[in-house]
Amino acid sequence: MRGKRFTPELPAEWQAVAAAAERLSNTHIADLFAQNPERFKQWQHQFGPLMLDISKQRLDEDALNALLALAKTKQLDIWIERLFSDYQVNNSEQRPAWHWALRASEAQALKEPESGVFAAVRHELAHMEAIVTKLHAGQWRGISGEPITDVVNIGVGGSDLGPYMLSKALADARAETKGALRVHFVSSMDGSQLSPRLLALRPDTTLFIISSKSFTTVDTLYNAATARTWLERHLGNSEAMLRCHFIGVSGAADKMTQWGIHPDNQLRMWEWVGGRFSLWSAIGLPIAIRIGMAGFRELLAGAHAMDVHFKDAPWEQNIPILMALVGVWNTNALGINAHAVLPYDGRLKFLPSYLEQLEMESNGKSASRSGEQVTVHTCPVLWGDVGSNAQHAFYQLLHQGTVSVTCDFIASAKRYHEPHHEESEEELRRQHQLSLANCLAQSRLLAFGEHAFEKGQQLPNYKRYPGNQPSTTLLCDEISPYAMGALLAAYENKVFAQSVLWDINPFDQWGVEMGKVIATETLGFIRNTEPMDDTLDSSTKGLIAYIQAHQE
Amino acid sequence: MELCVYGDTLNALVTAAALASTGHRVSLRTLNTELDAQLQLGSTPFREIELEQLLREQLDAGRLRIDASNGALPSDVTAVFYAFDESSYEIAVELTQRLQQSTPFLIVNQSAFPVGATEALQALNQGAVVAMPEFVQEGAAVASFIRPNRLLLGCDDKQAELLVREIFRPFNRQKDHFQVMLPREAEFTKLAITGMLATRVSFMNDMAELADELGVDIESVRQGVGADPRIGEAYLYPGSGFGGLGLSQNVTHLAGALASKGVKSTLLEQVLEINERQKEVMFRKLWHHYQTDLQGKTVALWGVAFKPGTARIDNAPALALIEALWAQGANVKVHDPQALDMLKKHYTEPKGEITYCNDMYQAAVDADALIVVTEWKPYWSPNFQQLKTEMAQPLILDGRNIYEPSYVRASGFTYYGVGR
Repeated sequence: MRGKRFTPELPAEWQAVAAAAERLSNTHIADLFAQNPERFKQWQHQFGPLMLDISKQRLDEDALNALLALAKTKQLDIWIERLFSDYQVNNSEQRPAWHWALRASEAQALKEPESGVFAAVRHELAHMEAIVTKLHAGQWRGISGEPITDVVNIGVGGSDLGPYMLSKALADARAETKGALRVHFVSSMDGSQLSPRLLALRPDTTLFIISSKSFTTVDTLYNAATARTWLERHLGNSEAMLRCHFIGVSGAADKMTQWGIHPDNQLRMWEWVGGRFSLWSAIGLPIAIRIGMAGFRELLAGAHAMDVHFKDAPWEQNIPILMALVGVWNTNALGINAHAVLPYDGRLKFLPSYLEQLEMESNGKSASRSGEQVTVHTCPVLWGDVGSNAQHAFYQLLHQGTVSVTCDFIASAKRYHEPHHEESEEELRRQHQLSLANCLAQSRLLAFGEHAFEKGQQLPNYKRYPGNQPSTTLLCDEISPYAMGALLAAYENKVFAQSVLWDINPFDQWGVEMGKVIATETLGFIRNTEPMDDTLDSSTKGLIAYIQAHQE
Repeated sequence: MELCVYGDTLNALVTAAALASTGHRVSLRTLNTELDAQLQLGSTPFREIELEQLLREQLDAGRLRIDASNGALPSDVTAVFYAFDESSYEIAVELTQRLQQSTPFLIVNQSAFPVGATEALQALNQGAVVAMPEFVQEGAAVASFIRPNRLLLGCDDKQAELLVREIFRPFNRQKDHFQVMLPREAEFTKLAITGMLATRVSFMNDMAELADELGVDIESVRQGVGADPRIGEAYLYPGSGFGGLGLSQNVTHLAGALASKGVKSTLLEQVLEINERQKEVMFRKLWHHYQTDLQGKTVALWGVAFKPGTARIDNAPALALIEALWAQGANVKVHDPQALDMLKKHYTEPKGEITYCNDMYQAAVDADALIVVTEWKPYWSPNFQQLKTEMAQPLILDGRNIYEPSYVRASGFTYYGVGR
């Protein structure tokens, strides 16, 4: 397939879905609403703090029935059972995927997949709690005895995106602490985020969390080594210094010990948690530091409720399954391979990056579970930004470009009711209302086009809005830990359900492995410790030559 | 004259007793029935020996009465004193509205309310309202009242000034101690004085930290600095930080008063921050001494009152110290001549091991360190031999620089002071 244009061929079981698409090919979203004035009522679903509105999708009841039948044919029910069991759903790595168990340990509405899993999870939660309590009380001390005021999370990918995204998203749920306690995130291997931190922070009052599932992630280990050398330079090199200034989160205890993380400061995770599903584990420590353990447990509870809903609710009312079916419909039936995530809330600025990883690393695959080449499109290209800002950037393409794009609009009904906003709450609430108005206006215009608003006018082409761009709107009551737990678990379960329909394994990521190996080799060339041989391509050679010439 | 004093602060009791002692008839209304019962028995929660004696004498003589707080004023009352703590402004407002009667009376506001409070109360009272910030020193409360260095009066009414001067005439004999200014100026002056004193203390603590780094004895430096007549010797002692209601709360108040106006005093914020840091200075030295491992260590504290001569522990450095020790898994043994009861009340559910000792040497038994937190007189010359024998480790941390380092070291101890 490499190099060739991918032409999907829908297998026989997809025929009913394809037929529905064919039947609807000349139906505009506006027509669907015209046919059924009560369309919203039928196409919105609520669960817990969330409301899912898929009425502005380009599908009707028959199409949905075809999708539900396809899901049944694809044995989605059996795969859901397998996910919530000891079955190795991650077949290429021979592992189960028990991220859901991380949030089930306390409520226990789901069956323990293996004896001891829940106890191990609770043990790590208790350890996290002890750390968080000490930090919040101003009693976690650096080697000179001063309370820690700055926590720096060093991690990348799943050890960064989730905690970072939620730390921003839940800014209003910040826990009270005795003194100042700031949380920072460092991920990029080039030191871009670390270097300004080291200039601004005091070594005596800075604590680093080294977060890496394997504890071999080179990006993280380089940042960690720089941080460690910085501390050693100011505070001396001692076991006590390491104990006061480093916490490790990893599945590899021996590697943490080897690096110098004191056993008391080691938080554990397990082989059965994928990196991009790990914010619910001790990887979420920076979130717990920000919102407190009570808040963190709320987050887990929201996600757990969504898991139970995903497992038990009828598919026609099942939020993650409906999200998955809509995605499959758009990708495979309507042939739309671009999807924009558009939160109308500045706190959710990093939700698009988080979902980019969750969806594209999980379902950006072209080999089926049995190792065959897939014949249908899998994950679309995802990107996004805070919607109101993106309106001034890429919305032009959404409204008038030549490619189709589907959108998820995400917003909360209530905002700015916390005491710390009291002084300007009225003004700020008005700003929130303005933002919501923009959110609703954009999805309306995308769906209906200008005809819905400028009846009878003949506009020049450059002023026209064809509409008919499908979108989903996800509202929550407010951006709380519980609601965010439910929202993220809905996306996780959507991704799993889609993988079942596409017959791929969403829990591995072989596509990111080889680049790491080649990078190690290339580093030798750049540093001149390895000779470049004739097999190296001329482009790489030429680029290395330029770099070397300009580094001297 | 017929006078009335409202409030349950130390200042309220001192004002009532001292004014009664010069012949006035004084009705004391504390708004605190528990305190009333204690006063009737001739004691106070403040452990001011001279004050208790004076109170008893005036009660016996019948010039001082402990009255119910909700009663009407005597019809012939001349002046009412407001001696509340700084958080009771709302109470003062309600009281002023309730007390209004046919005969106007003078209100003397001694409470450290926000600047402008006296003027706001004036709007509610038929008679005059004047500001008279209190300068009662805990530990020497009566003496500081009857022999004042100054009497700060915020008043813009000649009649009222005359009346205040008459009331305070017995305490104003050697020379005229009155300084008269506008009410809000008097209120602000009180806050500025407190801010200045706190700044001196924090400055010296900051210097002590540098002295530590440079291997200089801050005591020699302090004496040198204090000898400069432009500076003077008061409030230059480095130590474990200031506590108490007066100093730390008033500085907070001043910083707050400015902030709410949109002005910010970065200096005062720093002063408070240094002070909070300073409360843990002895902890840091201990932490360093034991290489960050205090788990299971026994630490003796001498003194928990925020200063000698009082039983109060408000914002006392000992509290920060005890909590820091608990968080590291250390066991705490405390001695204090007066404040142990307060401490027990404060820690009804202690977060760690604490032993209350009535004997100072008993606290040191089996201790891995002894920290002197409050400079009570009996601590100044202890039996070092006995301490050395009974402690598990001969380690003294002198949070008030009351010992001679070379002597303590020669007695076989490891010694740490503040800035030395």
